[in-house]
Amino acid sequence: MKAPPVSITVKDLTLRFPVYGVDAKSLKKHLARVAIGGRLSSAHHGSAEVTAISGLSMTLKAGDRLGLIGHNGSGKTTLLRALSGAYEPDEGQIEVKGRIAPLLDLSLGIDPSATGLENIRLRGRIAGLTTKEIDAKMDEIGKFTGLGPFLAMPLKTYSAGMAARLAFAVATAVDADVLLMDEWIAVGDADFQKIAHQRLLSLVERAGILVLASHDMDLIRLYCNKVMRMEGGVASPVTSIKDLDQLLAQA
Amino acid sequence: MHTAQHMLRTGRRGSLHEFAMAYADLRASVPKLGLAWSLASHDVISRYRGSILGPFWITLSMAFMVLGIGFLYSELQHISLQETMPFVALGIVFWGMISLVIIEGCETFVHASGMLSQTSLPMFTFVWRTLLRNLVTLLHHLIIIVAVLIWFGYWRTMNLPLAIAGLALTLLNVSWISLAVAISSARFRDIPQIVTSVMQFSMFMTPVFWKPDFHSPMMKLVLVYNPFFHMLDSIRGPLLGAQPALQTYVVLIVMALIGWAVTFSLFALTRRRIVHYL
Repeated sequence: MKAPPVSITVKDLTLRFPVYGVDAKSLKKHLARVAIGGRLSSAHHGSAEVTAISGLSMTLKAGDRLGLIGHNGSGKTTLLRALSGAYEPDEGQIEVKGRIAPLLDLSLGIDPSATGLENIRLRGRIAGLTTKEIDAKMDEIGKFTGLGPFLAMPLKTYSAGMAARLAFAVATAVDADVLLMDEWIAVGDADFQKIAHQRLLSLVERAGILVLASHDMDLIRLYCNKVMRMEGGVASPVTSIKDLDQLLAQA
Repeated sequence: MHTAQHMLRTGRRGSLHEFAMAYADLRASVPKLGLAWSLASHDVISRYRGSILGPFWITLSMAFMVLGIGFLYSELQHISLQETMPFVALGIVFWGMISLVIIEGCETFVHASGMLSQTSLPMFTFVWRTLLRNLVTLLHHLIIIVAVLIWFGYWRTMNLPLAIAGLALTLLNVSWISLAVAISSARFRDIPQIVTSVMQFSMFMTPVFWKPDFHSPMMKLVLVYNPFFHMLDSIRGPLLGAQPALQTYVVLIVMALIGWAVTFSLFALTRRRIVHYL
């Protein structure tokens, strides 16, 4: 089956996070508030709302590799999560055509007490692969990790670098049209970083669209052909990577 | 990660839209049952990793409990072992399933926060995960049931299809309760404590160990208004060759319908917020 054309369309996206303070999670406080007629202001109960993204619109089509830049808390990760389908917009609309692979958190679905092989299976299942597909890819993933016999050992016996290798190998074993990445590309030792880089490049080649959030401008220049700057939940228009310096100068 | 071909998320509001989206979530969870199964069986495997008997440890401890309580109650209530032992055995095994689906329901969404906050996996996937995990455990405990039914000869008189129907009705009910506590535990962190104590209290109010006695009006009241009695009786009764009262089936069916309607509405109204609760 030929997949329909890959695209991301975001229209006037606004995302607000209700902040449920630690207090608000207590049933007693909630009941107390109901009992006294909800007259205590939200200042006491901390269910204020934070606007994480406001009025964001963008259109990406196959071949676009968008770099997201901006300070901490500017809404980059939130946008990535919204594109992954985890967050429901408060206003506006997100439409993504194509298979999405959010590589936001390397440790997603990783169980430290399970062996390397089991973790590959589990993570592969979460990524939407069938058991058969995982079996077919197992050798390739195992080889790529370079962990050899360690794959049969529990993950907790791994060094941090080894665990990162495994997580990276599984996370990038998916066939995706839309790749969402938060900054985590530099993992493992120098050797591994080199092959990781190649693997990412080939993944990006295969994927129709890449959205990469990063603070590393060299990385953005390396992988992306378009760039968007976010500040306080407000996004700049999507511009060509050539205008990156200009965009930075405006900051 | 998720391999949906097309994803549309809108800021549209209105109850009708929320219900449509909740239904879409439920429908999308059906092809994800395989994933729910993988997660559930991984849960069981990882919980008992490194132990020799694995989940059979629970089976073993249940078996001892059945023996102990069976003998004790047979002595205390002056009822033959023939009657007490199978009653207690089935009671303990199925009560374990019922109460754990509900108690572990508290963690359904809380434990899945990682996946819920960065994938478009249907939320119902995790409800099925909790349910399937406990069905896997129940399968291990079937040993006790089979042993007791054969040893005491009840396999000749039991009505297996009716018991399976009872199990299905019970699952239909515990699943909505599990979903309801999953949503409320995500929002209010006191709920798991409350649920645990309610279930503990219910264990004593439900004829898990003791024989129900319909002669006392007070007791009758306790039984008729106890949904867990009906759940347990619909499974245990037919296995022990007794026909559960028609009332039991009425209660279970009505409770399933109303329970699912209310819980599904709750889910529809809170669905977009649940990921923010976590």
